Amino acid sequence: MSDATATEPTGGHTKDLSRARDMILCEDVSKWYGDFQALDKVSATIKEQEVVVVLGPSGGGKSTWIRCINRLEIHQEGRIIVDDVELTNDLRNIEQVRSEVGMVFQQFNLFPHLKVIDNVSLAPIWVRKKPRAEAEEQAMALLERVGIPEQAHKYPGQLSGGQQQRVAIARALAMEPKIMLFDEVTSALDPEMVKEVLDIMKALALSGMTMMVVTHEMGFAKEVADRIMFMEEGQIVEVGTPTHFFENPTEDRTKLFLSQIL
Amino acid sequence: MAGFGIGSEIASVAATATVPITAPPETPKLPPREWVKANLFSSPFNSVLTVVSTAILLTLSWNLLKFIFNPIRQWNASATNLRLLMTRAYPEEQYLRIWVCVAIILTLAGSSMAVWRTGSAMPVTGLGRKLLATGALLVLLVLLAPFSAGATVQWLLAALVVAAVGEALRRTGGRGETERTVSTLTLQVVALAGLVASLWVIPFGHHSYIPKRIPQVMHEPGTVALSTKLPWTIMLVVVVAAYFGGVLLRDRLAENALRVTLVVLWLLAPPVLVYLILRDPDFDMGHVIGTDIPIFLAYAVLGSTLLLWLTRPSTGEIGRIVAALVLLAGFATFLSPMRMVLRLDLLLLATFALAAPTFAGGLRARKRYTGAWLVLLGVMSWLITSINTASTVRVPGGFFIGGLAITLMVAIFTIVLSVPLGIALALARTSTMPIFRLLATWFIEFVRGVPLITILIFFSIMLPLFLPRGMHLGEVAAVIIGFVLFSAAYMAENIRGGLQSVTRGQHEAAEAVGMTTAQKTVFIVLPQALRVAIPPLVGHCIGVFKETSLLAIIGVFDLLYMARYVVPGQTEFMGSARESILFVIPIYWIVCSRMSKASQRIEQRTGLGER
Repeated sequence: MSDATATEPTGGHTKDLSRARDMILCEDVSKWYGDFQALDKVSATIKEQEVVVVLGPSGGGKSTWIRCINRLEIHQEGRIIVDDVELTNDLRNIEQVRSEVGMVFQQFNLFPHLKVIDNVSLAPIWVRKKPRAEAEEQAMALLERVGIPEQAHKYPGQLSGGQQQRVAIARALAMEPKIMLFDEVTSALDPEMVKEVLDIMKALALSGMTMMVVTHEMGFAKEVADRIMFMEEGQIVEVGTPTHFFENPTEDRTKLFLSQIL
Repeated sequence: MAGFGIGSEIASVAATATVPITAPPETPKLPPREWVKANLFSSPFNSVLTVVSTAILLTLSWNLLKFIFNPIRQWNASATNLRLLMTRAYPEEQYLRIWVCVAIILTLAGSSMAVWRTGSAMPVTGLGRKLLATGALLVLLVLLAPFSAGATVQWLLAALVVAAVGEALRRTGGRGETERTVSTLTLQVVALAGLVASLWVIPFGHHSYIPKRIPQVMHEPGTVALSTKLPWTIMLVVVVAAYFGGVLLRDRLAENALRVTLVVLWLLAPPVLVYLILRDPDFDMGHVIGTDIPIFLAYAVLGSTLLLWLTRPSTGEIGRIVAALVLLAGFATFLSPMRMVLRLDLLLLATFALAAPTFAGGLRARKRYTGAWLVLLGVMSWLITSINTASTVRVPGGFFIGGLAITLMVAIFTIVLSVPLGIALALARTSTMPIFRLLATWFIEFVRGVPLITILIFFSIMLPLFLPRGMHLGEVAAVIIGFVLFSAAYMAENIRGGLQSVTRGQHEAAEAVGMTTAQKTVFIVLPQALRVAIPPLVGHCIGVFKETSLLAIIGVFDLLYMARYVVPGQTEFMGSARESILFVIPIYWIVCSRMSKASQRIEQRTGLGER
């Protein structure tokens, strides 16, 4: 895990994570959809404040894995421990983990019947039991942070894709999570809107958020990741710093993948 | 996700565009001759269609007019029996109660119109065009109708005046920037005022039925009776005053609080109007003070303490267990005979207790929740007490109202009660809990497999046999319960369709921010599902309103039954069934078309298909 500090940094990964505590711990996590094995004994540890980017071809199990971490998918074997809470069938554990893990989706999934500000403040009011005024104040602050305070009283359908995705990030941040999961958040965006979303994610990474990012944005991976994990056919094939991963990968499958995309 | 379709893309472009948008070129209007050619005679088939359908329409209208204006028609059957058709045998000396109810409903309607800002601006040219078309139609009808020469000339003149006014408005309305508009509300008030004024001016004739030893039908020339025109004039004043009152309140108070208050008042109105005003319970004060108030106070104190404790965030799991125990206790009360009010209050408390964790929070939120319980408990206690008290309104045979009043009452009670039940059934049917799912599915499939008439007969005749000892249910109440169960099964399927239209992503997004299943359902899933389900739900409500005519089968005197059997059954109006039915058709039509219009407005308001 101390690889991150051993090699020459290319971007934001200058943190010393060797003594940081484990935020996400996966041990031999396996999952099947019918006969198809989506995850095959995935084991990994993600430290506090670490930014991990998960790369790999489509259908390799990246999204399934990240969705297992806040139990949108149920793993069938192995253990997942998030911030010292193990994900089991116990509803209280699941609710606790979900309120500490923020998630941003590929398709935004904003609530179309609520105004932007209500999208952001709904969960703090009802899950965190904050007074409405305080929650709305916080929501406005977050919308300012993602750069769209002027859209607060519009409906999601009136916003562009990039703006919607920024609202989705604000919505996740409103729960004051310890971990943020990003599931291909720029894949459904027009090219000119990708940057505005990635910039916010970079700023978030710099602020010390623990992040797990599934993406196809190689530039983002190079610049922001502390570690890159390469997944294929439900397994983690290779793990390393961006420098290691992009410049001298050891596995043949990683090399093949890189040759196809670069 | 479907919600972010092409429509929303366009909306977002329009909303964010800063470049001034140039107006699209105006499509030139075709001169009438070419319009007819392009739309009615564009192809040989289209021409045949136009000619044939015009012939059919003309024949139909001609026959209808011939029927209506045939001198042997007994239109005074409906005019004389207006009271019978509206309220059946409601005593004349208590008729003020009916008018009070109408006034309360109109007050609510008027102020709601102001608070919800209904009505829109209508271009004067558009209004002129409509009047012109109406005038032309009137001319056609007058020429078709079998009037005497004098009457034809009179009516023709009237029709031409309407058309001329329309044409004048159309010409002076202006277009583009100078276009003048008129509020649809103003138009409605003007139209209503015209109708009310016509009662005072036009000699419709004074019809009355004198139930002496030898009943007598009176028909005096002149305007209608004072007991008709005076109340309606007051009603017009009431609704206009209520509208302006609503405007005043809207500008001074918080709009959201006002809306919530009005919705609550609307929901309270049906039981309060029917059971407190129309039925006029003859309270036995000794019993009220000795029994009813102590029961209320006991529940108020115990329930409030329990709810204040349950809504504390620190209560946790033990609270859910206590709530479940309260519910079990509520069901257990049916095993031993006791006052119905004790059971119902306990069930209400159990409902509040079960929902308490969802509304847990700070002291203010907890107090508000407990306050809601106290208000609901108070209203329920009052209603139960007054329903169990004898009425001072004595009506021979059956329920104390009939005709249009009972049609509306059954329809409103059924709709208001079956919506929540339908939602509950739909949620149960789609839930992950197998017992709920199974029960709901069985119930829905069973009810949908049984004809409505069977259910109504079952509830009016058989249900009383199954009730526990000491429990009485009025026939109308029993029938409404049957109607509600039937209607809820159908509503549940409509709502289930809406539930399925909510994408998986919405569920996941709600779960990912840590919402419980209850919170997800209330805040995310149901609002979206109901929005989709509005058109079929309103369609169903229209169906319910019309199906109330089946009540006649079990001997409830609804509007259609009065028109079909009671009025033509009178010696004086033997064989006037066709006239009476033709008279009630527009009444049904007006109510149904209003509901349909309301549905369209709600769809627009909630932006169905837009966001």
